[in-house]
Amino acid sequence: MARIAGVNIPAAKPLHIALRYIYGIGPTNALEICERVGVTATKRVNQLTESEVLRIREDIDKNYKVEGDLRREVAMNIKRLMDLGCYRGLRHRKGLPVRGQRTHTNARTRKGKAKPIAGKKIATKK
Amino acid sequence: MSRSVWKGPFVDGYLLKKAEKARGSTRNEIIKIWSRRSTILPQFVGLTFGVYNGNKFLPVSVTENMIGHKFGEFAPTRFFKAHSVADKKVEKTEGTGS
Repeated sequence: MARIAGVNIPAAKPLHIALRYIYGIGPTNALEICERVGVTATKRVNQLTESEVLRIREDIDKNYKVEGDLRREVAMNIKRLMDLGCYRGLRHRKGLPVRGQRTHTNARTRKGKAKPIAGKKIATKK
Repeated sequence: MSRSVWKGPFVDGYLLKKAEKARGSTRNEIIKIWSRRSTILPQFVGLTFGVYNGNKFLPVSVTENMIGHKFGEFAPTRFFKAHSVADKKVEKTEGTGS
């Protein structure tokens, strides 16, 4: 078990998989890190030496924005749009899709679980 | 996909002239524009534009944050008319009661 970039404790997985448990590091970045630090990507995390872990930690600190900082940046970007009063900001405020997707149907990821329309059932019964 | 950098930002030419004229006059008046597709440039900051939304000219006072956005983004063309939820509920209960 190794603690990298704050709270993340990736498991007994290959290094390039384990690194992806860090918010902000995906497949590409994980492989980049492995290469730059000079550790075989498929080496298990629990087989890493102390110095390797240290080098990985330094590499991430130096080259990537991860976890809290990244989350804050994303939130700030969204907040900027919302304060600006532009179309994208309005969509964020309303919790609707931002990039021009249809909302007649679908869009459930943004809209959340479907809400029943009040009184609709009664109307169909009559 | 974003626009190629070598093309520069897209702006309808007459906006530049209008903006310059507005800068010259001390009175801060609304510049009516139809060109929703134009990018907001740094030289527009501080001016107020009336962006046409197909119906009215909506006042947009340009701030520094808006640079790089298009004018159209600040003048919505559709307005969502919702039923006020509270009113509807009252109506419903009254309706079923009678």
